[in-house]
Amino acid sequence: MAIHSVYALYKDDAEARSWLSFFRSHGCPALDGLVIERVFWLEGDVSVERLLPLLVNPLYQDASERSQLDPSLGPIVEIAYRPAVTDPETPSILAGARALGENGLEFARLSRRYQFVGLQEAEARRLAARFLYNKIVERVREPGEVVTTLRPTGTPDPVRAILLAGLSDKELVELSHARSWYAPLSQMKAIQAHELAQRRPHTDAEIEILAQSWSDHCFHTTWKSLGLLKRLSAATARINHPLVVSSFKDNAGGLDFYEDWVVTIKGETHNFPSSIAPFGGIATKHGGVIRDTLGFGKGGYPIGGSTIMGTMDPRLPDQEVPAGALHPQLIVTESIRATAYYTNPMGIPMMHPIYRIHPGYAKCFALGHSVGLIPRRYAIKDEPRPGDVALLMGGETGRDGIHGATASSTGMTGETLEKEFAAVQIGHPITERKFTSAIPVLRDAGCVRSITDLGAGGISCAVGEMGAETGVRIDLDVVPLKDRSLTAWEILLSESQERMLVAVPPEKLAETVAILDRYEVLHTVLGHFTDNKRLEAFWQGQKVVDLEMSFLWEACPIDSTVIAEPQRQLASLDIPEPATASEWGEAVRRVLTHYHCADQQAAGSQFDTTVQGRTAVGPFGGKSHRMPTNLYVSAPLRGKTYEAVVAGADYHELALCDNFYTPRLRPDIAWDLKRMVETIADLSEQLGIPFISGKDSSSGTMESGGRRIDVPPTLVVSVLGRVPDVKEIVTKDFRSPGDRIVLVGRANPDLLGGSVYADSYGQRGDRLFDAYDAASIRAQWDTILHLHREGAYLSGSAIAEGGVFLRLFEASFGSGLGARIDLNLPIKGRRDGLLFGEFVGSVLLEVPPGMDSFLDGVSHYVLGEVIEEPRLILTEAGHGVWQDSISSLAAAWSKTFREVVE
Amino acid sequence: MSEATTAVLYAPGTNCHEETAAAIEQAGGRPALVLLRDLVDGRARLEDYQAAVVPGGFSYGDHLGAGRIFATTLVARLRDQLVKFLASQKPILGICNGFQVLTEAGILPDRAPGERAMALIENQSARFEDRKVRLLVSSEKCMWTEGLAGQVLEMPVAHAEGRPLLCERGNRAQVVFYYADIEGRPTLEYPANPNGAPGAVAGVTDSTGLVLGLMPHPERASLPAQYSRDGLKLFRNLVRWLGK
Repeated sequence: MAIHSVYALYKDDAEARSWLSFFRSHGCPALDGLVIERVFWLEGDVSVERLLPLLVNPLYQDASERSQLDPSLGPIVEIAYRPAVTDPETPSILAGARALGENGLEFARLSRRYQFVGLQEAEARRLAARFLYNKIVERVREPGEVVTTLRPTGTPDPVRAILLAGLSDKELVELSHARSWYAPLSQMKAIQAHELAQRRPHTDAEIEILAQSWSDHCFHTTWKSLGLLKRLSAATARINHPLVVSSFKDNAGGLDFYEDWVVTIKGETHNFPSSIAPFGGIATKHGGVIRDTLGFGKGGYPIGGSTIMGTMDPRLPDQEVPAGALHPQLIVTESIRATAYYTNPMGIPMMHPIYRIHPGYAKCFALGHSVGLIPRRYAIKDEPRPGDVALLMGGETGRDGIHGATASSTGMTGETLEKEFAAVQIGHPITERKFTSAIPVLRDAGCVRSITDLGAGGISCAVGEMGAETGVRIDLDVVPLKDRSLTAWEILLSESQERMLVAVPPEKLAETVAILDRYEVLHTVLGHFTDNKRLEAFWQGQKVVDLEMSFLWEACPIDSTVIAEPQRQLASLDIPEPATASEWGEAVRRVLTHYHCADQQAAGSQFDTTVQGRTAVGPFGGKSHRMPTNLYVSAPLRGKTYEAVVAGADYHELALCDNFYTPRLRPDIAWDLKRMVETIADLSEQLGIPFISGKDSSSGTMESGGRRIDVPPTLVVSVLGRVPDVKEIVTKDFRSPGDRIVLVGRANPDLLGGSVYADSYGQRGDRLFDAYDAASIRAQWDTILHLHREGAYLSGSAIAEGGVFLRLFEASFGSGLGARIDLNLPIKGRRDGLLFGEFVGSVLLEVPPGMDSFLDGVSHYVLGEVIEEPRLILTEAGHGVWQDSISSLAAAWSKTFREVVE
Repeated sequence: MSEATTAVLYAPGTNCHEETAAAIEQAGGRPALVLLRDLVDGRARLEDYQAAVVPGGFSYGDHLGAGRIFATTLVARLRDQLVKFLASQKPILGICNGFQVLTEAGILPDRAPGERAMALIENQSARFEDRKVRLLVSSEKCMWTEGLAGQVLEMPVAHAEGRPLLCERGNRAQVVFYYADIEGRPTLEYPANPNGAPGAVAGVTDSTGLVLGLMPHPERASLPAQYSRDGLKLFRNLVRWLGK
């Protein structure tokens, strides 16, 4: 069949310009120019001329039959999908051609030709390999290559039996590692014993399923060994909160909202893939956690999301980046690009874009949340019944993401980058967007008995879990493949994105198919649920999997863990207290320009915050729309007499979601982890605020060049709550000159340990701000709640990183006003600690004249007042200490992060 | 409430259709969500609607170009219905991706399906821009902005391809909205002009003033909880016009 090609160049290529400037500022100053030429490959009996309006727009693209690039100007690297893999755009091109009446088009592909002006061939290829393609699914197309067909080609490997009998412990461990199962000896021995008992060797498909189902990522073996898995859910059960609809059982947690709706929350980390291939890793982090919303109950709808990233300092010199780790600047910039690439087309507003640094994040921290909405009557899924159809829908299955579960459960070494590249998935948001629209329709039509997403472990994990109580039989030959060379176990384990599994009552199958066709969602009847409590899979006429569910889910051995309290050597702080105006100016800038306090809108402005039309308060607000709000308020119920909202609520109507990221287990790490979990579980119970969802990852260790780099034990708690009226929400920007600025709660300026201020001196310190106990937190919150109900304050914010000072700056910046603060307060201790101490639990409130009486009996300090002029002025007993304009401070504040990402 | 119904057209990847319908409802109009595929398959007909809105999103994943496949479908599969709709002097609004669809289809600026004379290309920053912008309304004749000339409206933008490129041969694009600075004057300054739009052009209409395309999102500034309700003015004009 004839193969035609069309070459297209943009007349004004902003993408090429952007890559040029990126490469030039990332170690390639010799690059003089970059041109990107897009190539369309078209197979079939077609009129290229008639297809041209679909492929190019002559207003801004030039099309030709031959390449318009002059090879003498620089090396050209052409990147295309591998022959076995389908391009994501192929179905769109085919559909477009049919719309134009060009039915002779049989297949289509794209490639991109990058010309690097001023570079040598080898350097051009190195850049392309590092930044421009994913070698698992794409490749460099060599010049002069002859193509006979564009259709995917390739042959799968046969299924093999793997005999474990007679292997020594050492051999079992070696095999486990060589096959990327990363199963510990105890698990290998359990599989070996099972082989003996069933009197046949397992197939490769069966062992692959066992290894991934028992991995830490899927089975939480680390947490189970410490007895922690049930710790938080037990606290939640004891709280017995009336608003909790679903906790820890489903793909997300659910909290009762208004009008018979339930809001859901889930947080998911994707640390390992994001460390080795940030773009793919972050895109699929979002794709995956969004599917947890879609797979909640009988199908939720996503109404918000977050991205929270922890990396090493992106300003690190190249030589200080551990061997085998990517440069943190690359991780940050790629992660921003990936979040925009995935969440914007999904049409889900960004609630919290947060970027943090720590020298321990050699293996980065990549967390994403998804918040959803579902009618209460669909919030609890049913169990599938024997005879129900197991329906697979969404994207095709490919080679991407194989061994993601096992690889992410192990530590990372210098070699991981190479060996486990296949573990990185590729995300295509359009595919997920299609079933995001279809799922509520399916649900409301009664087509869903149960639904779950395909994540770690792919088909095998989803059908294995959904059919755990019944049994399930599936046919792998019907799975739509984007890669023809996949063998049975690869089809079972592939973590290709954008797929969901639905248990459909058989009488609803025809209706289900009609709905999915209408929304252009690919779907396949994979098999059906049985009553024999076995997981059975067939492929090419063979039964390739036949495992009893009880062995799969109940036989995993849990290794015991030794726990030992770590010996810490903490030094006290050595920071000179500022005395002169210029020293105060220096201290202020240290805090304002610190990565954690600085303006991060250079990332945040790339994410849609207003889509869905539900945003009442977005992550950036104030008059300039540039003030970080640390809050997201949504009004998700439309057309109601009141506008109910999510976030910013009475603490009696809150729920929590936890995400832990800790180093690989050692006795001291185990001690820390155990203490962390017990502390927050107890606190949750004492406060009566339940955790309803959570996730843990215990593989935050990288070994590089004989050095072990542990992530800092990391806990993210996100808060979800409800408020009956958006107008009740108070933000942090100042309202009116003359209002008093009041600190409510405790302050201890000498306790600067762990603060941003200390960190700006490269110190940690030994004394953290005193933790409040649960009783005093509740008392503090009751006070604030009372003040809020009385309308006693007009703006307010919680003290956190950057202390009182950062809040004063933000509140001024957001309002166009300023503040005058007097340091002469009845508080003992350092004056700088007063401004920069992180008095967690205390709040800053703006109290208008005449509202003072509400503060009677409340522990508070009047710090100063809001002023008309946009300046921050510090005095002590009326004498000037330091002052600066908000615009000058803002210039410094907005520089730090921009320099990293632009 | 007017009896006339406004079709809110959506396709796979469109993601602003529900809030667009909500905004029309808020203005007292009657919206109907119409799936593009239902028009192609004959389950729905454009002639049953008195106005049409193509909302924002990433139709067909923006494959091959923002709005390209949606536009190709309109022009190649629904040409007769579209021509009739235009000939009946029915209003059309394209928001963000919908604006891209209208230009890719040739509906804007020249009401000439299949003849492209304007494009919306990648932002100067080569990034998605999520911002709150001010829009100065021009005095050009446009049903959607009747009575708003000289006002400055506030609403969000959120797009990666919004820089207008006008073909030089005599097209009839008339500028309705300019990105404006804090003083309300048209501006080329980033980020008040978020995409590097030459002439600060944020929205254009055709020769009849019935077809409007704009990059900013009026439906995100229409509902009670939103930070601004300026966008509602456009939908109110639609409802008033349909009620005449």
